[in-house]
Amino acid sequence: MSQATDIPVNQGQVASVGLRTRLNSLRARRILLGYLLIAPVVIWRLATSIYPFVYTAYLSFFDNSPVRRTFDFVGLENYRHMANDIQVKQTMGFTMYFAIVSVAMQILLALGVSQLLNRKFRMRHFTRAVNLLPWAMSAIVIGTAARWIFDVNYGLVNDIIWRISGERPIWLVNVNLARLAVVLTDVWKNTAFLTVVFLGGLQGIPLEVYEAAKMDGADGPRSFWYITLPLLMPLIISMGIFVMIGRVLSFEIVYALTSGGPGMATSLMSYQVYLQGFRVLNFGYASAIAMALFFMVLVIGLLGFGGLRRAWSRS
Amino acid sequence: MATSTATAPLSSNRLRKALRAAPLYLLVFVFLVVVLLPIYYIFLTAFIPGDKLFTQPLTYIPKAITFERWGQIFHSLPIGRYMLNTLLLSTVSTLLALLVSFLAAYAIARLDLPGANLILVGLLASSMLPGAATVIPLFKMFQNLHLFNTLWGLFLLYVSGLLPITTWVLVSFIRQVPVEIEDAAKVDGASTASLLWNVVLPVVQPGLATMFLIGFITCWNEFFIPLIFARGPSAKVITMALGEAQTIGSSTQYYQQWGNMSAVAILTTVPVFILTLVFQRQIVEGITSGVFK
Repeated sequence: MSQATDIPVNQGQVASVGLRTRLNSLRARRILLGYLLIAPVVIWRLATSIYPFVYTAYLSFFDNSPVRRTFDFVGLENYRHMANDIQVKQTMGFTMYFAIVSVAMQILLALGVSQLLNRKFRMRHFTRAVNLLPWAMSAIVIGTAARWIFDVNYGLVNDIIWRISGERPIWLVNVNLARLAVVLTDVWKNTAFLTVVFLGGLQGIPLEVYEAAKMDGADGPRSFWYITLPLLMPLIISMGIFVMIGRVLSFEIVYALTSGGPGMATSLMSYQVYLQGFRVLNFGYASAIAMALFFMVLVIGLLGFGGLRRAWSRS
Repeated sequence: MATSTATAPLSSNRLRKALRAAPLYLLVFVFLVVVLLPIYYIFLTAFIPGDKLFTQPLTYIPKAITFERWGQIFHSLPIGRYMLNTLLLSTVSTLLALLVSFLAAYAIARLDLPGANLILVGLLASSMLPGAATVIPLFKMFQNLHLFNTLWGLFLLYVSGLLPITTWVLVSFIRQVPVEIEDAAKVDGASTASLLWNVVLPVVQPGLATMFLIGFITCWNEFFIPLIFARGPSAKVITMALGEAQTIGSSTQYYQQWGNMSAVAILTTVPVFILTLVFQRQIVEGITSGVFK
């Protein structure tokens, strides 16, 4: 009797073991297939982004120049040199100034414009399309054209200022004005991105929230201050960080509009890497500057992540 | 008397409504001027005759226009070749990036792989690596591999630049598709290839279309990569002609510089403007899909 019942149990075990191995091999096949499908993307990024980045970190410890035909290990010499290099220090200063001022202006403007574009008015569809145009234009077109727009005597900006005030500010020669010109050009081009994102955020806030607030007497500016702003805050912080990193990395506007001038007053980190790497052909030193740029991005990213977590936990 | 009292509240109501809407329309008007006036003026510069370009005050509605800049830039620069290169690079790079990242996105979203999320986050983090911090080793690599000055080399980098965002967005698109659709196909014995092609692809097709637009515009506008890696006309792109256009023609005529620059700016900008205006909705979706999904 017991033997009779043993047999089917045994058979069942055999069957389930067989099923399990088949399932296991199916699972293994699925995982193998998955990694095969992912492989092109990973290999592509490893070869063209991650490996070159690691090699840049390596190069930053070398004196490497194709002109002087050097490839000598110098330890921290490049970094030491950077700490005493007035051009690099100015560049870091302006990069931070640019990132903070430009992002602050973009956030404020985008909050306003997104409120505007969220209203109902005639030509709203057209106005929203117009909003996208600066986003769609190439940064190098805008940077190059901005040199014409900010021309002292015949530029568009000074024409308007001159008609109003009779003055013609010397935009690209005066340090503060040149910095402002770079920021304004950048704000003109990039605010559209944040506007579109904030508009998406606004459309995600249910109307009932505003209606409920209206009953409690919160209307107009108060509902913006107490409802819209807090609800958008995680978006403002996360996108603010994203845009700020973009500012720290930016290149084209400064390359075309000011060439970093006057002096190095409007030089950005990427532009400095370009100058050292591809004009002076100092690969080692340029790599060290690029690593400093990387650390700036890293710090902003980490600070932003902390801020975001706080904003999430509050809302 | 009776009629006037009947109509008076109506018209004053209307007036009040119009007055209340006035600040809104004023703001809209200011916004449109700030965005459109510079674009209009840059485009106009290509058509204003040289002696009318440098006037105080400026003229915004020209009395005479000229087309000499077009002849000049097409005569002195291989503009046709630049445009063709740009079109080819933008189209092929974006299609290739979408294909490659579609496969990866499917695997990440559906195949329950160990470490899939880590790969996805790593991919996105790698897109934050500064271009300036990869460009010198790439420069050396390209010289060794004879990719320098070639469209192949640019393809490689353009695709690479798009992969993190396209993968990221496509993963979110595929995750929104109900698994049941795929399960039904699996029961019918569909192979993975036919599953991907016949079931998943059609469902995420709108997502692919929006990402194509964003990718195409991104590649079209690229300048830094060709500046470093394309030094000869065989691989140069249209954004590089902006600087070159300013150095051609008789150098004694300062105004040539801006007129020619402006003509190239029009060539560079009009294609993306057309795309943006025609596909406005898809582009907004594309911009926000990386943020909200």
